[in-house]
Formats: sequence, C-alpha cells, structure tokens
Amino acid sequence: MSIDITLTVNGVSHPLAVDPHASLLHTVRDQVGLTGSKEGCDDSECGACMMLIDGRPVNACSYLAVQADGAEVTTVEGLADGNDLTPLQRAFLEKGGVQCGFCTPGMLISATALLRDHPRPTEDQIRIALSGNLCRCTGYDGIVAAVAAAAEQG
Amino acid sequence: MTVTEERPTAEQQGTFIRPDGKEKVTGLGRYTADVNLTGQAHAAFRFADHPHARITRIDTSAARAIPGVYAVVTHEDVPENLYGGMVQDRLLFAKDTVRWEGDVVAGVAARTQAIAREAAAAIVVEYDVLPALPDFVANAQPGAPLVHPEWTAYDADDDLSREGNVVGHSTILKGDVDAAMETADVVVTSRFVADASQGAPIEPRAILAQWTGDRVTVWTSTQVPFAARDGVAHTLGIPQSHVRVIVPLLGGGFGSKCDFHFEAHVAALAEAAGRPVKLVFSRREEFLAPDHRREGMVLEFETGATKDGHLVARRATLHLDKGAYTGEGGFFAQMAAMHACGPYELDNVAVRAMLTYSTNQPSSSIRAPTAPQTCWALEQHMDQVAAAVGLDPVELRRRTLIRQGSHGPTGQVFDEIGMLDTLEAAVEMIGYGQELPDDEAIGVACGWWPSMASPSGAYVKLNGDGTGTIVTGAQECGTGAVMALPILAAEQLGMRPDDFSILYQDTDAGPWDMGASGSQTTFNNGRAVVAAAQEVRAQLLQMAAEKLEIDPADLELVDGTVRAVGAPSTSVTIAELAGTGTPLLGKGSGDLPENPPTDIPSACVGRLGLDSFLAPQLITHAARVKVDRETGVVRVLAFAAAHDSGVIVNKIGADGQVYGGVMMGIGQALSEATYFDEEGRQRNPGLLDYKLQTASDGPRIDVRWIEVDTPNAGPKGSKGVGEPPSVPTSGAVGNAIAQVVGRHVTQLPMTAERVWTTIQDVQEEAK
Ligand code: FES
Ligand code: FES
Repeated sequence: MSIDITLTVNGVSHPLAVDPHASLLHTVRDQVGLTGSKEGCDDSECGACMMLIDGRPVNACSYLAVQADGAEVTTVEGLADGNDLTPLQRAFLEKGGVQCGFCTPGMLISATALLRDHPRPTEDQIRIALSGNLCRCTGYDGIVAAVAAAAEQG
Repeated sequence: MTVTEERPTAEQQGTFIRPDGKEKVTGLGRYTADVNLTGQAHAAFRFADHPHARITRIDTSAARAIPGVYAVVTHEDVPENLYGGMVQDRLLFAKDTVRWEGDVVAGVAARTQAIAREAAAAIVVEYDVLPALPDFVANAQPGAPLVHPEWTAYDADDDLSREGNVVGHSTILKGDVDAAMETADVVVTSRFVADASQGAPIEPRAILAQWTGDRVTVWTSTQVPFAARDGVAHTLGIPQSHVRVIVPLLGGGFGSKCDFHFEAHVAALAEAAGRPVKLVFSRREEFLAPDHRREGMVLEFETGATKDGHLVARRATLHLDKGAYTGEGGFFAQMAAMHACGPYELDNVAVRAMLTYSTNQPSSSIRAPTAPQTCWALEQHMDQVAAAVGLDPVELRRRTLIRQGSHGPTGQVFDEIGMLDTLEAAVEMIGYGQELPDDEAIGVACGWWPSMASPSGAYVKLNGDGTGTIVTGAQECGTGAVMALPILAAEQLGMRPDDFSILYQDTDAGPWDMGASGSQTTFNNGRAVVAAAQEVRAQLLQMAAEKLEIDPADLELVDGTVRAVGAPSTSVTIAELAGTGTPLLGKGSGDLPENPPTDIPSACVGRLGLDSFLAPQLITHAARVKVDRETGVVRVLAFAAAHDSGVIVNKIGADGQVYGGVMMGIGQALSEATYFDEEGRQRNPGLLDYKLQTASDGPRIDVRWIEVDTPNAGPKGSKGVGEPPSVPTSGAVGNAIAQVVGRHVTQLPMTAERVWTTIQDVQEEAK
C-alpha cells in the first residue's frame, strides 16, 4: 500500500506515492533524488540526516515521509543561493569545519536553525546545539569556530 | 634560479580552501552510497550465526525462491583463493568454519534491500558449534586450542612467527636487564588492560559493482583503492587490469576502511546477478562486520630507575588480540614493542609482545595502531616511576626523553628532533603547576610515531590555458592531505594552488599508492608530486629558453610566467607555452628515504621496517581534568597538544588533524570501547552504547607545532601528521585522573564506573 503525499523540498513541490513506513530521509534521497542528507545510523544517533521541517531541525531518518506531507522541507542543498554559498557554508570551509564532509550537511542544518533562533550564540550554546551531530574528523573545533564566525558576520 | 613566490600563499594566510570543499558544503558531492546505476540490485550478507562453529550444511534454495532475488552466492561460487595481508588465512565466504560473528557465509542480491535481507535470513546454515576462543592471553599459551588448526599450510610473510595461535611474536632485547635491575634504586611494576575500540567513521561503508564484459568497476568507500583492487583480482582470479576501483568522496575511515574488505563479495554478486549490485552497511553492520577495530591489550611493565631519574632497565610483556584473521595487522607486535619503550633513553630492555588469534572480531589498523593503548599504559607507568623516585613527572621526562644524539631503544641514533620542545610547550600551554581546585588536576604524556616511507607516484600535466591537473594514486579520507598537493606543485611552477585540478581515487588513472593510511600521503605522495612538477618545470624552462633565447639557468617561474631573472619584462606566460599544444607532462615518485639503522639484531623486533622510526613524529599532550568523586565522571576542561611533525605544509589541515585526533583520543580515554560477551559477540554495536565524544564534551584544545626542518623526511622537511594526535591523549587524561583520585585507573577506557571503583578502592584502603 502506498500513500499519496506532497513533499515540498527546498521550495519545489513533489507529488509522491510513499510507503507509510518510508522515512523522510529515504524518500528524499531515493524518490526526490537529493542525496546531500546522509545516513549515518538510521536511529537518531548521529544527526547526519538532519533536515529542517517548517524551520525545525529533525533527524529525517526517524521521521516518516507521510508526517512531512504538506510541510516545507529544507535540506543542505537548499541552503546556498544558487552558486553563492551562505556565510555559514563559507565559514565552514575557511575555519576547517569540513574534513571528510559526511557530517557536514547535518551540521549545517543544525547550525542554521541555531543561528536563526540565536543570532549571537555563546560558545556553550553552539556546542550544546550541535551535540546531536556527531563528527569523527574535526574534533568540532573548526565547526564551532565556523558557527561563531558566521554569527559575527550576522 | 628561484621559484619561490614571495607573496603569502592562501594556506599561509590560514584560508586554504580545500578543493573538494564546495561540493561538501552544498550537499552536491557524491559519496559511494549516493551513487546509483540503472538496474542496480541491493546486497545483504548472511553472517555467521555463532562466533566459532563448523559449517555442516548450507541450503540456499528457500532464499533463491523468494520473488525479487537475483542471486545468492556462497563459497561454491567463487575461487577458493585464501587472502590476507600478511597471512593468507581467510576466504571471501566461509566454507568449513566460521571464526567470528562477522564471518560472511553467503551474499544475496535482490530487487530491494528489504528483500535481500529477508533472503539472507532464509538461507539455511547448519553448524557444529565449537567452543569460542575469545581469551587472547589464554590462546597464547602452549597447547591452547587453535583458531586456525591448519594454518601452517597457509601462505604468510616469512617474518611472522607461527607458534600455536601467536601470529606475531616480537622482542626487543638490549643490554643486560637482570643486572641493570639490581642497580636500580626503585623497581616499579604495573599491569593494565585496554578494551577494544573502533574507528567508527560517520559514513558506514558502501560498495557498488558493475561488470562490463569481463571487467568490473567497483565504487567503494575504501581508504586504500589499490589494495581493494588487488584483493578483488586475487580472490576472483582475474587480472588487476580487469578491475577498476573508484572512490567517490570518502566519509572518513580512521583506519577502519584500510585493507581489502567486501569489494569482491559485491563484485561476485554483481556477476551472478547480471546487473550492478550495491551494498550499504547499516550502522550495526559497520560495527560488527569489518575485520578492523582497535586491538584489546593486556600490558605488564617493570621499570628500574635511580633516584636521580635515570631509567636503568625496562621489562614489558604485551598481549594483543588479533581476532580471527590477520589482514594487514601482522606487524602489531613489533609496533607495540616499540611503544612499550617509548621515546626514552633506555640502555637495557627486554620487551616481548605477542599478537594472538582469537574468535573475536579481527583487529587491524585504527589510527596509530597499538600506540594509544600502549602509550596510555606506559605513560601512567612512567608517572608511577616518577612517584617512586620522588620526582615530578615532567621532570622525570625531561631527564629521560630522547634528544638529538640519543640512542633509542633499538640503538637508532636520533637526528635533530623536537621531543623536549614538545614537552616544554605542552607544559607551558596547559599552565602546569598552577593552583587548582582539589577535584582538578593536570596530566602529561609523551609519545611517538614513525613516518612511513612507501613508494608513491603522481603525474602533473598542464592544460592549454596554463592551468594544471595533478593525477595521483593517493587517497583522500578527509584529512586534506590530497587537497594540499596543489600547494606543492604550485610552488615548483610559480602557479597558484587553485590553478590545479586533482584526479585521484581511480586505480585506472593514478600510479600505485598505499592509500590513506600510515599518515604518509604528504610524506610520500607529496614527494612524488614535487618530482613530477619538477619535470614540467624543466620542460617549461627549456621551451621558454628557446623562445626568449636565454639560458634556462637565467629564468624563473613566477606568477604564471617564465621570466628572466632580473629582467621581468622579458617573459612568456605559462599559458602561452602550454597553448602551443606541446605536451607538458611530468611524472614522479621521488627518492624514498631509508629507515635509520639500529644496533641490535633486527630479527629481534622483526624485519618489517619498524625496528627504527624514520623521521619520528614526537608528541606531548597535557590535559586538565575535573573528576566528580561522587560519580566517577571525568570531564576534560583544557587540552594542550605540542607536536614535532617537521615542517607543516598545510597548517589548517594539520591543525584539523590534531583537533580531531585529540577528540578521538579523549573518546578512547573515557568512553569508547567495544564490549564482548563471553563468546566474543559485540554487546554495543551502535552509537548510543558506543559513545563518541560530542561537541558539548569537547575541551578547548591548544595546538603548537615544533617545526623542525627534518632531514631524510618528506617535502620541505615534513613528517606525517594524522595519527600522532591520538597517541598520548589517553595517557595524559589518565595521569590527570590519577592525580585527583590518588591511583591510576588500570582499565581503558577509564569510564565513570571504573574511575568510581578506583576511588572506592583508595578509600577502602585508607580506612
Ligand atoms: S542517520 Fe539519522 S540520526 Fe543518524
Ligand atoms: S568532517 Fe568527517 S565526520 Fe565530520
């Protein structure tokens, strides 16, 4: 059995037929064809799959596609304005916030949500906000510095 | 003639943007799991149902009958070619015996992953269950039951021992330990146990294989594409030229994606299914199935010292858990033996290390294999020695660390090194000696790690518009080492790093390379790129000399032009020269530095090149921790890391290795362990129970580079960078904890429970 839904991803509507148990992550990766969001665990442990749903960060691996019917979904592909990187994306590159890059999509989504709610976060706020996103490469230092630098730039 | 640019390069300004950066922050870059091919099927494995058992029957008929199943493959469908890095002890699909819970018995290719998993479960496998042999110390005893009863018949590296279950037996014997111990003012003995741990990259591995005729292309998340290619060719019995391995973006490895793993299983499934087949591991499988995790160890030390802080003798016995198969990890006993000596002056040494089979998950290289645990144990032992002789632990190290002219534990004589400078820098950065609350303390630990010389190659070619392309066999795993290669080429050619594209991670394109392992990409492939660029430089100079009618020796390459020294207006652009269509193409490998000689018979420690440390990377870490005495919870508040990695080529990349390595080291110190049940099954194969450090756990980390222009090293006097940042980390944390609680925690990781128990023991004894 499949259910008809409309997923609006990065401003584009996709009429889809999905299994009721299909995760938002698999649906966006396999049916919408946007593979920027990663699967690191499929169990809400790593944050690599994070997307914004109506502006709220969620682990898309543990969120049903049918729950997102009619909502605005933003993935990492929806952050940049065309070819222009956001200040946050640029800061990730300049501050050494990206190594292998597998955690980066989730980190960027998490940090985008943080900066919208707290445009001037303290270091502790940044670290706590990102504590649901695991990174094995950077030790978080470059990532925290990047978020702080992006906040500086407003 | 000079070719160096005066203006600061991007990386000198600290804003080196990695060439793969934009695709990574936009989500447009493709990792292996993101690649799909028309008609692809999905793979699942049937793993062993028991850690140790004899297979009596495999029946795949029920699995094959499930609609949507394209192929089921077992040992019957592939050549019976044993494989393994140093001992050929493994088959792709288990035939008679399974030796750990991750042994692969069969593979399925099906229309969906769900069907593949269902079919894998439907395969009937019957066993005679054998006793599990998880205790690697017991397995090393003479007469212990064998994990590989038939293994004397296997092909293996001649330098490995084959004593019962012991794969590698290494000793370092120097001087007269018995006599020297008699002269010591104190003799300190310690015993430590380190649990196994994992590389745990955030990307679970993925593999996609497609046949075209009798050739196969494999996209795979490997750190070592050439080893993966060679493994596919060997196990499937086809020429290496029929296998092409391409690595899309790689989502981290930390050693766990070194070696040949599952590429041939998936290639065999794709051949049987007659269509492309893709395997993507779940997180649970990423814990259970790779034959790669950090080895569990049992370590015993005995050191004699004099009151004035001289180490007169060291004995050590080390047991290492090899797990079920050898893979590339056969050298671990040697490596651990070197780390049991550490970067200290020692005249009398008797170290014995045994790497032993068990029916546990195989261990193999994880970031600085054997070093973090051995260093953790040795450095805690060193603090115990310091206490016994009544010296401050830093002072004891000051008196005993190697320096220029020192004779190392195997007699290697050290060139210019910055070991002591790292100690002083770390001590200064952490504020050693400051007043602290009574639940806080500072611990210090030192360590070392060799640079690995390995053949490597690269091509550099120029395009018609004066830009260039580097074609290399090197592999990027996130460290930025490959990303930094343009810096080296650009310097030779008077170009800018961002003038270069890089073609890499494709075995049909680049020359052979050992891959992203051993912290050696800059060290070896950097040298190759410089050599290739130098060939192109010579070609450019020759062409320009003819055009400008000037002796090539009077020309320089600056800012994309070739110009006369002292007369810059007499010039021709590189674009103009390249645009003529004359191929500007260089290839290089560079001269391999030789390992320093030793003065004890090398057979003692084995002949795998690790009895001396080429261009040693030297490290001191210092940690300030806070211990909650009620709960045993430890928090690292501040961390200082001082490293001699020679001259640093890419600062932002090198800093990133330290931040990441230290956090991995803190994880290993406090929370990361794979726990096995009594049969050797993993009890915590998930990220909720296998605890990585998070952003909110992290301390401030201060980094300082002691840039020694190192002779006999990599480009510009560089050494490696990537592995040392995890080496002394847990030792520093352990020594800090011991300062607070009054005793060293003897099990790694030093979990809250273990710290709490140690506190209770101390209090009990005080009563
Ligand atoms: S994949 Fe969703 S949290 Fe890890
Ligand atoms: S950059 Fe590799 S996991 Fe974060």
